[in-house]
Amino acid sequence: MAASMRLLVRRAIRLTHRNINVTTAGASGQTGCCCFSDAAGDRSTHFGFETVPETEKAKRVYKVFENVAQKYDVMNDAMSLGVHRLWKDMLLHVMHPQPGVRLLDVAGGTGDIAFRFLEYVRSQQERQRRRATRSMQTPSWQDISDNYSNENGEESKESRAVVCDINKEMLKVGKQKADSMGMGTGLSWVVGDAEELPFDDNQFDIYSIAFGIRNVTHIEQALQEALRVLKPGGRFMCLEFSKVTNPVLARLYDAYSFQMIPVLGEVIAGDWKSYQYLVESIRKFPDQEEFKGMIEDAGFYCVQYYNLTGGVVALHSGFKL
Amino acid sequence: MAALLRGLRAGRTLRGLCSVVSAPPAANPQCSGLTRGIHCAALRLQDESKSDKPPPSSSSTTHHEHYQTHSAEQASTSDPAAEEASRPNTSYQDQSGEQGEEYETEEQLQVRILNAALEFVPLHGWSMEAIAAGAETLDLSSASTGMFYNGAGDLVLHFVSHCNSQLTEILAEQHKQVQLGQAEQKRTADFLRDAVETRLRMHIPYIESWPQAMSILLLPHNIPNSLKHLSTLVDDIWFYAGDRSTDMNWYTKRAALTGIYNTTELVMVQDSSTDFQDTWNFLDNRIQDVVNMAGTAKQVQSTGEAVVQGLMGAAFTLKNLTGLNQKR
Repeated sequence: MAASMRLLVRRAIRLTHRNINVTTAGASGQTGCCCFSDAAGDRSTHFGFETVPETEKAKRVYKVFENVAQKYDVMNDAMSLGVHRLWKDMLLHVMHPQPGVRLLDVAGGTGDIAFRFLEYVRSQQERQRRRATRSMQTPSWQDISDNYSNENGEESKESRAVVCDINKEMLKVGKQKADSMGMGTGLSWVVGDAEELPFDDNQFDIYSIAFGIRNVTHIEQALQEALRVLKPGGRFMCLEFSKVTNPVLARLYDAYSFQMIPVLGEVIAGDWKSYQYLVESIRKFPDQEEFKGMIEDAGFYCVQYYNLTGGVVALHSGFKL
Repeated sequence: MAALLRGLRAGRTLRGLCSVVSAPPAANPQCSGLTRGIHCAALRLQDESKSDKPPPSSSSTTHHEHYQTHSAEQASTSDPAAEEASRPNTSYQDQSGEQGEEYETEEQLQVRILNAALEFVPLHGWSMEAIAAGAETLDLSSASTGMFYNGAGDLVLHFVSHCNSQLTEILAEQHKQVQLGQAEQKRTADFLRDAVETRLRMHIPYIESWPQAMSILLLPHNIPNSLKHLSTLVDDIWFYAGDRSTDMNWYTKRAALTGIYNTTELVMVQDSSTDFQDTWNFLDNRIQDVVNMAGTAKQVQSTGEAVVQGLMGAAFTLKNLTGLNQKR
């Protein structure tokens, strides 16, 4: 009883802190989501620097990604000068998945994370198998027959990745990529909303969301869903643009974001507004510490974040214990 | 938020002081201001929790100690979260599927995972696979191995500190027996020999993979921790052997024992005799060497003094004979 009271007090502390933040942080305007304004009726949220009703945000985000789906990967390479590949590799490196784990990649559209995951796990399994055969240079007949029976059991240790996205266009592009790369096995493509995942409880070992959570209307709900579908001991990993700490770098980054990226969007993808939204939504997303607080509020433990490229991208990780 | 936490922590330390000086503040009716209100609520909760559990079971006392000293423990874990300091408890009954497992903090859960992982070390070596297998026996997903940022190093260091604390318990028990007069005080050499042998025997279940563990302990980022464990081990052994020296001997004794321990460990990993008899013989010889050296050192010192006195006497006599010492 005392224990749950303590939990309540801690929640109260955090809520009051959030209240203080919302009422006194008018100048910065970074925390745009006004969850504590009046209840009922039309609550509004941010869509880039615009303010739109919450119900409309999801629709507009859907349209943005519908428009950019075909050129999504090309634009990623152009805007980040290829560095996004390093960020995603870093995510996998920190994740260090063991063979046999199930990954849920939410907002995983074109499947970058899922592909990398499958490659990582398969190369690890290869290495293990090679190590095993090296230690058994002259196998006896008994060992050989054991190996045959083991291979049937290997199927259960097969890693599986599920790519979930709210946008069918992005999934279509991802499926085409998978087919062309020949990575058919072990992948599933599911349409779903991050705030209401179409999965049962305790299904996945790892939940990853790369550059998608800032587009979600209710981030807390997405975090709650993540907690729900993860197995006990499961890991939540989120790769997202965040606040640059270095002031010089921050100024360069701002200039690049607002001047270059929409132009690139217009030239390569023929869509200025979508990339304007992209850049603005980055500015509206909470910073590293605040997002970490949100993850902890949702019920994750051992939450930590790593800044990549000086804070341009932050990798948050939490565990369901 | 940081200011709130600092206030809470300050409040906790103040409360510690208050409980010594006066009666603990059971109720604080006049709490004005938001910060103080929360602070008072937290205090009231702490008092409640104290009164709620009159017969403290072992888990709840450790929990309470953790609550009080959690800020000190932060340094030892890899959690940089400042907010964790105010949340020492992990899942309660509201987390599904965890009923019946009353771990109190993340550190304790990590300890449980590492303990479970030790079983799989003979199979997988000192590696993340062993930790993953250990986590799975506790019904946790293998993704929870991500909590161990140092990977295999965490497992090895945990095992080493576990063995050290076991040894300390055994030595304390023996010490108590001697105090009660139920056992005889051993000679220093025998005591050292028995202590080192007991400690090294704890490696026997993992002796196949112990070279891998030793190499992990020698990795640059693990060296500070492994040195710390080694020095506390040697210090404990000497303390229970009865060493209360405060001069240079303190350093020489510990250096000698460190040398003995490390060399014996190395002999042990390549020893193939029955029950490691060769290792214990080696250990005996090394301890005998040290004892002899100590004796020899004393002898050298007294001999040196005698020789110097003899020389002085000879020089004086020579001066007398040659007539240089005449005082007319």
